[in-house]
Amino acid sequence: MVESKSSNNRVLSKGKKPIYRNQWFFLLLAEVVLAIITGSINPRFFGISNITNILEQIAVLGILASGMTMLIISGEIDISVGANIGLVSCVIAMMIKNNVSYLWIVVVALGLAAFNSVLVGSSSLIFKAPSFITSLGFLSVFRGTAYAITKGVFQTIYGKFEALGLTRIWNILPLGFLIGILIYFVSHFLLKYTKLGRHFYAVGSNPAAAYLSGISIFRTKLLAFLINGLLVGLASMILLSRVGAAQPTTGSGLELRAIGAVVIGGTPLSGGKGNILGTFFGVLLMGIISNTLNMLRVNPYFQEVVFGIFIVASLAVSAFSAYAGKGIFKKRIG
Amino acid sequence: MMENPVVELRSIVKIYGEHKVLKNVDFDLRAGEIHCLVGENGAGKSTLIKILAGAVIPESGEIIIQGKHVKALNPRLAIELGITTVYQDAELVDSLTVAENVFLGSEINSRLPFKINKRKQVEEARRIFGKLGIDLNPDEYVANLSTAQKQLLQIAKALHRSAKVIIMDEPTSSLGLEEARSLLNLLKMLKSQGLGIIYISHYLNEVFEIADRLTILKDGEKVGTFSSNDIDVNQVIKKMVGRDTALFFQRRPIQIKDVLLSVKGLTKKGVVENVSFDVRRGEIFGIGGLVGSGRTELVSLLYGAERPDKGEILLNNEKIEPKSPLEAMKKGICFVSEDRKRYGMFPGRNLVENLVIAKNKLSRGFLLSLNQEVTLSSEMVRRLSIAVADRDQLIEELSGGNQQKTIIGRWLLNSGAMLYIFDEPTKGVDIGAREQIYEIILQLAEQGKSIIMVSSDMPELLSMSDRIGVMRNGEMTHILDNRNVKEEDLMKLFIGV
Repeated sequence: MVESKSSNNRVLSKGKKPIYRNQWFFLLLAEVVLAIITGSINPRFFGISNITNILEQIAVLGILASGMTMLIISGEIDISVGANIGLVSCVIAMMIKNNVSYLWIVVVALGLAAFNSVLVGSSSLIFKAPSFITSLGFLSVFRGTAYAITKGVFQTIYGKFEALGLTRIWNILPLGFLIGILIYFVSHFLLKYTKLGRHFYAVGSNPAAAYLSGISIFRTKLLAFLINGLLVGLASMILLSRVGAAQPTTGSGLELRAIGAVVIGGTPLSGGKGNILGTFFGVLLMGIISNTLNMLRVNPYFQEVVFGIFIVASLAVSAFSAYAGKGIFKKRIG
Repeated sequence: MMENPVVELRSIVKIYGEHKVLKNVDFDLRAGEIHCLVGENGAGKSTLIKILAGAVIPESGEIIIQGKHVKALNPRLAIELGITTVYQDAELVDSLTVAENVFLGSEINSRLPFKINKRKQVEEARRIFGKLGIDLNPDEYVANLSTAQKQLLQIAKALHRSAKVIIMDEPTSSLGLEEARSLLNLLKMLKSQGLGIIYISHYLNEVFEIADRLTILKDGEKVGTFSSNDIDVNQVIKKMVGRDTALFFQRRPIQIKDVLLSVKGLTKKGVVENVSFDVRRGEIFGIGGLVGSGRTELVSLLYGAERPDKGEILLNNEKIEPKSPLEAMKKGICFVSEDRKRYGMFPGRNLVENLVIAKNKLSRGFLLSLNQEVTLSSEMVRRLSIAVADRDQLIEELSGGNQQKTIIGRWLLNSGAMLYIFDEPTKGVDIGAREQIYEIILQLAEQGKSIIMVSSDMPELLSMSDRIGVMRNGEMTHILDNRNVKEEDLMKLFIGV
């Protein structure tokens, strides 16, 4: 871009934001440091099998976190995604056991998960209740339904339907991870280059102004829930395919990890801000921490504690960046 | 008679952003008097009493209550010092009874610890009401009370907490004639019992009925304090509005063509009553009136943000019934709302996104054209001379004037529009940006667009409008040709004297 102040056709220049002002930069830094420390204690960390393992583990989380990013940007949240996964994977596991065709399985997985998420969203929008609360209610509905249809029995699929979760391209790259990467790109494209994505930011930033600018808040937020639901469906299939069995508690706790990854990736819970790149590095950090704890043979019960603390810490980061947005830490310019 | 004041404010200064709303204002209140505060919308009356109530902290100045300097006043401390503000609705708990509200926070206990003596509270409440001559049932739930009854209850509650000073901000604006009368009588009685009362009202006849003294504020400055015997209504109005002509913007005449918008009998129960007017191409139609007179509600009906109960809107001789802002936008109506923070800006988003949002909504297709967005934004930034560092700067980082120009620019990008509605276009905007905004409005008129401009700013209304519609209590009482109209005349029409 030519910079000449006198020119009458001067185009607004891009902002010069130093790289270290980006949230993802800190995450990358943390990841490198963590990797070096873990690797120096346990060299197997850098082994191909371990890296493949990490990528495989974060695929599902990444897909969920992408949907969650769009929801949170729109000013909504869904904490029932874990239970949604549980219900969907139980249903499709039972279908697989009964040799239903894979086409139907894909349709049911996507359709049921999307239906559930839209149910959460529409109840929140119609009853004007925060989606945090309605999704808390539906969390119980989904998990209860899963218990009821499985009668609490473990649904094993005995090696069927494993292509999605266990295929490795050139024996290294897990297919699930590649699908996850594709989802990141699609989500990024949606947020950055489409009107719908712009509307997500608008309704999350200021719904009243969005309405007066002609944007339907109801439609926009419902679409965010729909996309979130489709991604939950996709994640359910990959998870089931990789694990080979489902039970009602499958996926529980994933919602908190997804929200944690989104928030630590720089998308504040207040909505209207954030991006997928941050979420990508947030998910990666989650994966590396989890793997590190395993490598260092930390008691699995204690791992739960670490993740809990991690999520609270990410909320603190969110609170501080919200203050920054309000100008308490930031100076006024212009 | 010259006893010491109960409350005194000395050289109070309050600044909001770049706007000085109070400039070295002095004020005092004696025991046993009713002191009225009068002034135009935005003269600083409400800010002054909020400072006294501890809800707003002044930049500088002294607050002296009963002879003692108070450093850091907060709402709780103000109440403890005996200053109570009666708000129209707040401050009461709807789900509790009248008696419970009176004793909220100072409940009468029975002999059992933590057990409230309800019977005693009811008796005590009845005694207080009897003394004041208020007719209220202590067992009634507050949710069932009318606005007037709620105000009476708040006064009773204040007296129970041994208030020395009662502040009332526009208490009669939502009351009927009867209710207003009994409220004024109550205030007179309280005064005779030695209470100090600060009373804010736009209704000057009320003010003259009850005031011992009155203080006039104008543009954040105190014009003077007068004994109500030494001054009359006309003098007060003159002092409320009189200004230098320097504050008036000199606009050029623009040729006015045929009628574009025609509003007939537009009604929304309780807020807008049977309003009819025309706006022609090239015309700037100003709408004035006091706060709460239904101006904003009227324009939100035109923009589809609210639905009318009755009446019709004709645009280009075609009947329109906008059911949402989107439908109004598609018909070529633009709306710049009065509160850009609440209804205009997208905080956390950059200048470009804030500019193009409405244009994007109206264009076809699913994908954004990022290059075109940058080109259009750059043009708009130049045209409106918006001061911005780069295109990634967030809108909340701009100054108030530049924010407002950005919101206006959003609608200028909607080039197919025919009717522009500006609600308080220069609120919280500095003088320089203000003239630029006037220039933008004039250019729109020159392109043959119709302009509706709602404004509380008298000089703005008088210097920009071709005609002025006066709103009072939801009705458009007068439509004036803006020739040699004086501020005082306009103020009289607003108030209705």
